[in-house]
Amino acid sequence: MRHAFWLLSVAGFLTVGLSAQAPQNPALAGAATAPIPDVNPFTSESDVRAGEALFQTHCSYCHGSFGEGGRGADLTAGVYRHGGRDPELYASVRNGIPGTEMAPVRVSDDDVWRMIAFVRRLGSRGMLEKAPGDPEAGRLVYQKSGCASCHRIESDGGNLGPELTDIGRRRGLKFLAESLVTPESNIAVAYRAVQVVLKSGQTVTGMRLNRDDVSIQLRDTRDNLRSFLMQNVAEVRYDKPSLMPAYASMNPKDLENLIAYLHSLKGTL
Amino acid sequence: MKSKRTWAVAAVLLTAASWTLSGQGQPVTYERLLKADQEPGNWLMYSGTYSGWRFSKLNQITAQNVKNLRVKWLFQGRHIEKFETTPLVVDGVMYLTRPENAIYALDALTGRQLWTYEYRNPERTYNCCGKNNRGLAILGTTLFMNTLDMHVIAVDAKSGRELWKTKMFDHAEAGGYAATGAPLVVKDKVIVGMAGGERGVSGFLDAYDAKTGKQAWRFNTIPQPGEPNFGTWAGDSWKTGGASTWNTGSYDPDTNTLFWGTSNPWPDYNDDARTGDNLYSCSVLALDPDTGKLKWHYQFTPHDLHDWDATQNPVLVDTEFLGQTRKVLAWPNRNGFFYLVDRTNGKFLSAKAFVKQTWNDGFDFENNGRPKLVPGNDPTPEGNDKVWPGIDGGANWMSHSYSPLTKLLYVFAREERRVYTKNAIQHPTTDPAATPQAPNAGPVGGRVRGGYDDCLVVGIDCNKRLAQFAPEESFGKAIAIDPATGTTKWEHPVLSPPWGGLMSTAGNLVFGGTIEGVIFALNATTGERLWYFSSNGPVYGTAISYLADGKQFVSIPAGDLIVTFGLD
Repeated sequence: MRHAFWLLSVAGFLTVGLSAQAPQNPALAGAATAPIPDVNPFTSESDVRAGEALFQTHCSYCHGSFGEGGRGADLTAGVYRHGGRDPELYASVRNGIPGTEMAPVRVSDDDVWRMIAFVRRLGSRGMLEKAPGDPEAGRLVYQKSGCASCHRIESDGGNLGPELTDIGRRRGLKFLAESLVTPESNIAVAYRAVQVVLKSGQTVTGMRLNRDDVSIQLRDTRDNLRSFLMQNVAEVRYDKPSLMPAYASMNPKDLENLIAYLHSLKGTL
Repeated sequence: MKSKRTWAVAAVLLTAASWTLSGQGQPVTYERLLKADQEPGNWLMYSGTYSGWRFSKLNQITAQNVKNLRVKWLFQGRHIEKFETTPLVVDGVMYLTRPENAIYALDALTGRQLWTYEYRNPERTYNCCGKNNRGLAILGTTLFMNTLDMHVIAVDAKSGRELWKTKMFDHAEAGGYAATGAPLVVKDKVIVGMAGGERGVSGFLDAYDAKTGKQAWRFNTIPQPGEPNFGTWAGDSWKTGGASTWNTGSYDPDTNTLFWGTSNPWPDYNDDARTGDNLYSCSVLALDPDTGKLKWHYQFTPHDLHDWDATQNPVLVDTEFLGQTRKVLAWPNRNGFFYLVDRTNGKFLSAKAFVKQTWNDGFDFENNGRPKLVPGNDPTPEGNDKVWPGIDGGANWMSHSYSPLTKLLYVFAREERRVYTKNAIQHPTTDPAATPQAPNAGPVGGRVRGGYDDCLVVGIDCNKRLAQFAPEESFGKAIAIDPATGTTKWEHPVLSPPWGGLMSTAGNLVFGGTIEGVIFALNATTGERLWYFSSNGPVYGTAISYLADGKQFVSIPAGDLIVTFGLD
């Protein structure tokens, strides 16, 4: 990490140095010396749409189709470890992040900006809309429905489902509604349910935490960390990918209020 | 023999019991911590038990079958620093810290990752010897870690989510503070030490409420104005006197006493401005864990001039001494002597050198074992190379181990000398302009460098530094000391002075690893090497043992790997 830091520092120094010298030294002119704009020049709706398509091709394998993270960082919170200013995001995508698995993305500079426009959108979904329901009434629905047994808001709640502390910032209304009515439509990799059928006949259900050819690890429905050697496992099934009950039959008013409550959860940046 | 058989039966029973619990999320209560020795399938605190024995009752791996030991899995840290951590194992889950304060939860059977927690330190931290961390403490279902930037963190053991975070101190104060040791939980409190003895800090030991993270007490290791022993520092030298608490202590529930060792006084090798005993540097503190009040202290090295920290893990033993059973601290110290100190009152009982030493001419029994000094051992401006032990001591921070079966204390000792140079005093600073080298560079004044760390950290020419003395003057040895007499019963020499500790087991084995990466198992009775594995990564830590799926495993850090061994 320390070496990576030094490399970055040196790289930063060189970039600045070259940029400063470029006007005097034509030999150094070229794409590498073009200054990086302070603000993303590609932010139109069509840029965002193009960015989304590029994102699905180049980024979703690690960051998830919905930006929810997995092997790569969660991009839905609008918080970026290696810098959240446009030029910093640009550098992370353009050059990769040394010392991590994040590799440079091989697209044109303009397309890098378009991807960033989409990533920005990912990180602010919930900020763009207004929910029609009553958040306070929705809070009671949340409590009554037992959501906290699996989900956590701030320090209260369980670990089986995604944390909801800032879900209203991360997710738009459509996503929230879908997740409640048809939970299996959008499942982050980290929350995919798995059924481990043991040779003894027992089936253990939980969230898959890890797996390789010889073992599988999961968080069972009682929130215990479990591990099984594949030699003891008859079958691993993914036929019910979400452990979340579907709330399609919920009173529509309650559902609207619940969505409004979830939408009101913006966390603290 | 009877006790061996009883333990064997108990271990088998506990094996079954503990694996039934595997993954069932039973909280690690204080009662479980008190009886950690009765759960040999788990490793519940840094030294294994409050007694500091680092002894495992597991006996599946024995002197007879250890030759069949093989690697079961590796954990790849993928970092530049070496691991110094001691993992915890709770009901099939291993929790370990990575340098720079990440926590990993692993399946103890396969090493597969369950969750991670990553703490973000600032770019500049002020650790002397690498961006290290030595491990965790647990209470209930909460893990505790201290950080390089002087925070204490509580993390949910099931999910890795942060529960609270408390700032201990401004890490950029004075010459710079850091916290690298493993915390110790006593009752409902998390006891946490700090480092910076080479950076002119002012030492303390802290306790935090495990539930809330609120500070419960702070003991200043340098007496403040008006407190007893304040006058043991000349002038204002007490303000920057070091006396840090960077390793982990032990606890005696019978007397409700917390034992914690303190580091050197600052400046390390120049005492022009700090005349006096410099209390409570190079001491063991006996504290009330509820209040942080000092019960007594014993200073191993008054007015230290050789960086001979007394930060070893305290080992609590009941042993025969002059015909009586005494409750003692059995303490192989960095200054090269093995001490017996009555742990009920701090009375010095005996001391015997376990490595070559040149500085001591006996102990003053009239004055509670104050050492009598041999002239000519002080650092000099041109460099004094006639002093044993060396700067890194006869023992250092690496764990010792006590086996109640052999009644021997196992110590991985360092035989070496180094050059002690008295430099001009320059207070270290955290000003980036004044210390433009690596952010975690060591002290800038008054310290003779030359260890493995220094080569990596500040680019010192290792060949020049390390080749000053002939190999036969610098080596390591695993030794077995009879605590009652201080006599060395056997000795297993190794090529270089070690940076790893020892763990003994009921299989009559002692595990350790060398700086060249040779991980070994010795016969605990004879010291004979029965098995080894070439990991080729420097061992800067100490082994643990635990059960997974009912089978005994041994884990030990080597370089940036955690290597875990088992039988088939």
